[in-house]
Amino acid sequence: MAEHLLTTTVTETTTTTPTTTIPPTLELISSAIGDSFVHYLNKLDQIPGGQIILRYIRSSYKNDPVRSLFELALFIFAVHYFLSSKRKENKADIVKFSKLEIDELIKDWEPEPLVEEVNNLEKWQLSAIPKIKGWNKSHMTLYNEASGNNISSNVVNLASYDFLDLNENDNVHKAAKAEISTAGVGACGPPNFYGTQDVHVRLEEDLARFLQTEQSILYGQDFVTAGSVIPAYLKRGDLCIVDSGVNLAIQKALIVSRCNIEWYEHNDVDHLESILEELKPTLDKEPVRRRFIVTEGLFLNTGDICNLPKIVELKNKFKYRLFLDETLSIGVLGANGRGVVEHYNLSRLEISITIGTFAGSFASSGGFCAGVKPMVQHQRINSNAYTFSASLPPYSAIASSQSIKEIMNERTAAGNSKLIAQLHERTSHLYSKLTSIKTTFFKVTSNSNSPIIHISLSHQYRKALGLPAFYGNTHFLNTGKQARSLNEFSKAYNIESFLLQKIIDGVLFESNILITRSKSILDHENLPVISPQLLIMVNSGASLKELDLLAQTLEIIVNKVCKSVSNEARLLSLEDELLKYTKY
Amino acid sequence: MSRFIPNAPPDDRPQQIQDELEYGKLTNKKYLYVSKHAAGEPLPEPIEDEPPYYIYIATYVNYLILIIIGHIRDAFGKVFKPQDYQDLIEQNGYAPWYDGFENFYVRRLKLRIDDCFARPIHGAPGRYIKLFERRALGKGEYEFTGQSMECLNLSSYNYLGFAQSSGVCTDSALDVIDKYGTSACSPRSYVGTTDLHLETEQVIADFVGKEAAIIVSQGYGTNASLFSSLADSKCLVISDELNHASIRFGVRLSGAVVKVFKHNDMDALEFLLRQQISQGQPKTHRPWKKIIIAVEGLYSMEGNMCNLPKLIELKEKYKCYLFVDEAHSIGALGPNGRGICDYFQVSPSKIDLLMGTFTKSFGATGGYIAGSKPIIEKLRLTYITNNYSESVPPPVLAQIISSLRIIEGKLNPGEGKERLERIAFNSRYLRLGLKRLGFIVYGADDSPVIPVLLFFPAKMPVVSRVLYSMKIAVVIVGYPATPLTTSRVRLCVSSALTKEDLDYVLEKFSYVGDLAFLKYSSGIAGGSKVPGQPPRWSIKDVLEVNVEDCKKPQLP
Ligand SMILES: Cc1ncc(COP(=O)(O)O)c(C=O)c1O
Repeated sequence: MAEHLLTTTVTETTTTTPTTTIPPTLELISSAIGDSFVHYLNKLDQIPGGQIILRYIRSSYKNDPVRSLFELALFIFAVHYFLSSKRKENKADIVKFSKLEIDELIKDWEPEPLVEEVNNLEKWQLSAIPKIKGWNKSHMTLYNEASGNNISSNVVNLASYDFLDLNENDNVHKAAKAEISTAGVGACGPPNFYGTQDVHVRLEEDLARFLQTEQSILYGQDFVTAGSVIPAYLKRGDLCIVDSGVNLAIQKALIVSRCNIEWYEHNDVDHLESILEELKPTLDKEPVRRRFIVTEGLFLNTGDICNLPKIVELKNKFKYRLFLDETLSIGVLGANGRGVVEHYNLSRLEISITIGTFAGSFASSGGFCAGVKPMVQHQRINSNAYTFSASLPPYSAIASSQSIKEIMNERTAAGNSKLIAQLHERTSHLYSKLTSIKTTFFKVTSNSNSPIIHISLSHQYRKALGLPAFYGNTHFLNTGKQARSLNEFSKAYNIESFLLQKIIDGVLFESNILITRSKSILDHENLPVISPQLLIMVNSGASLKELDLLAQTLEIIVNKVCKSVSNEARLLSLEDELLKYTKY
Repeated sequence: MSRFIPNAPPDDRPQQIQDELEYGKLTNKKYLYVSKHAAGEPLPEPIEDEPPYYIYIATYVNYLILIIIGHIRDAFGKVFKPQDYQDLIEQNGYAPWYDGFENFYVRRLKLRIDDCFARPIHGAPGRYIKLFERRALGKGEYEFTGQSMECLNLSSYNYLGFAQSSGVCTDSALDVIDKYGTSACSPRSYVGTTDLHLETEQVIADFVGKEAAIIVSQGYGTNASLFSSLADSKCLVISDELNHASIRFGVRLSGAVVKVFKHNDMDALEFLLRQQISQGQPKTHRPWKKIIIAVEGLYSMEGNMCNLPKLIELKEKYKCYLFVDEAHSIGALGPNGRGICDYFQVSPSKIDLLMGTFTKSFGATGGYIAGSKPIIEKLRLTYITNNYSESVPPPVLAQIISSLRIIEGKLNPGEGKERLERIAFNSRYLRLGLKRLGFIVYGADDSPVIPVLLFFPAKMPVVSRVLYSMKIAVVIVGYPATPLTTSRVRLCVSSALTKEDLDYVLEKFSYVGDLAFLKYSSGIAGGSKVPGQPPRWSIKDVLEVNVEDCKKPQLP
């Protein structure tokens, strides 16, 4: 058999290069090698277990000894190369020291502190975190941590992700309490080791049905979900095309996965298309690898909504899978809260991987991932945060299931969720109020459907204050790699945030309404950070009147604060105030 | 029969009986013990017993056969049942979700013993755990009968037995739902901070003996986000080779350089420290900005503890920082349940960062980082979870506070002490019994985690299934969670178990040990009746003297 194969190869060679005289010698050598190889292989036969190995080699290499031999040689070469290069490099890199010298070096070494102390300029940020006494709901009580005194009660809470006000829902409480009364609080084990309870499976089913997809899987915390899901599918050599405005969780996930990254301009589908076009010829020549387009539904950093219909069209045309982060859009967008997909009336089956949270609109805790069955099942063993962490508390699972029921329960005349309709009504009401304010100081920058309304200081005002166009660095954008060190403390970012805090405090004082601002940790952000923004999180528990009041007060306060801080010098003089800040 | 998991069958037994099934009453005052390490004494070197060499060879052959059969099945399957391999091949221009090579282990080894994993349960995983009865249909599909079976629980991380559906902690959690709702609704730095959060942080900081603490809604997430705030690429993290995935993931996220030392090998650590400090950063040879040593208090797969006294000595000598993950040791070790420092009688101030989880001993969920006040204050500003991730939900806080107060003796005085002394007794009792029966067990005498070595991967399902049929629920772990050759059963002891429960477990283990030929031990790790001979006590002999013997300072 071996000879036969060989001769055919050789004749082929001869026909293509008729002038060569090598073939006979080659034939001789190869057949000699082939013979001895077969001879040794036959020896294998005699040792126990060798038969199996033999059969294995035969079947996998189709009885072609030369090929096997060649591959063996290649393998040995690779191992040798790998080991030798490593050894050489290491040796060259290590400086020889005597024991005494080492002791000396150790004595001289002055490490930096484990973490820097909080500097005086950023201390105010700790005081600026609101502290709630008791229930975190649509109307709540704030207090000062140091004195323990209440600052204000019955504060309208427009700073919470509990958009539907389900943290106040009796049915959700009842379900949670019933579960605690039968199963206690913690799950006490990871899902694969007796940590999966009936209520977890039920929630996975409920959620899959709600999202109209095949299956879903639960995570113990929202932030770890992206970081655990993405590296389960994207590895070195795989490719993803990513919106350059994605949140920190996704940034970190991409870094860990070590895949190749191409960035497209934030929410710019034309740019996305041109990148896909550009890559196509090279990709077509290579074997097919896993390819993803990665985007958020409702962006954390900007309040924009991605152009999903176009992205879906492109991903189908160019055969990419789509990873969609619905953390902020789930239970919020779409007539029944099914997220961006429903917002655009698309099918969930277009989305290969959806991730999201239960800690927002569903008033519970944990994260999730949903999609087709093979994708979800793969995570049950290969996703770090699923296999190496305890299950969600069972009461938490049932609270989420109940929240989904609550969303679907009451219907509008059109047959859609009443709860969601209420939220949408409030959102568009406040949005139109805020956008109709005539001012040169700020601009509403989020999408009109976003219940998180972003307000940025206007371009011209920021210019007058001498503030930079963006903060952070572009290293990750340019190289696809994490920067070597964290972003340094930015005085400008700090003081711009403080300016916004003054507005927040003013609004709270005037109208007893709490709004908030974006709180990106500049140190960790790998992508450029846009200017800090005021954030208003619309809440179903707030009345239209209260929202009107907010719009009125906000206009007054912003004008007041911004007029008093009209130039760079004034802005810098805020530092004195900032050093003394002890609000909450 | 249904493909769907049934609802939990109603339980109309009297409350008192149900309570007993979650937390067994102490049957005799003799069954208590106080766990602690005599201060100043060196840590006894854990002796790892080795089975005869042919066991290793047979184990490799075992894998070889499994792998060969797996490949043969793949080869035929791809031809005759292509529909089963759809997920592994390119389809319509899309690459498969995962490649066949990556997936081979799961498909051909794990799937065969799939019924031993992820058994769905209902109710509190206390002394007994209620498993839904199911029948495997293959390919990871099951059919459920609608019934459930109560098994003795040696699988849950329920060290102090707080997995209960009644009692002080439960009442407290229920009460908090009425006063705080079910969710924290936003990240800590937005509006996710309530008075209850701040109180919990103070309670846990006081408990572990640190000035301040930060709590996080998930233990994994606690580690996964932490290191980014401590280190960057100019810092070095020295990590024990068996550190938990969350630590490794967190360190990777930070971009810091990582060096790994052999598990618990303090000489290797010192060598590494000397080398790294003198060599500095790669290529540039600039000095490292800082070096962080990351270890665990109690290793969850090995059952042994870190050598804390030595670690502190090294850390001080070489000016490094020490991070200790107390996920399994907090609550479960030490005369006051305060973890590894308590056990070794070392001041917690000597450790820079103490991390732990509420998932295990406290029957709650989540994790904490405790440290000095300046460190924690800074972390409040730079810790990723504080600004980007959900805050801890209120019922969990209630469980944490109430369980900690019980352990401290401030709530229900006496209850906490009993729980602590019961787990200390139970751990030693079961460990000594298993040793004497002839099993190879790893880990420290006082460890509530008891790995019983099986070696052969094929014995994992045998043990799991046979014990299941005898109503004992255990966790089996093999490669990749352990080294290839040391597949094991991992027992987690709980205060909720009574001495009689453990007797039952020992008796059944002895039976399974004979059945599956698991009694490999040579006696070098103790347990022998006649010195120099392998221990092979009969179950009757073991039970006769076990109570007294397990309380000897060092297990005989
Ligand atoms: C050492 C260690 N750290 C962290 C964790 C993660 O904790 P959790 O299950 O609460 O996410 C575990 C859990 O298994 C662990 O063993």
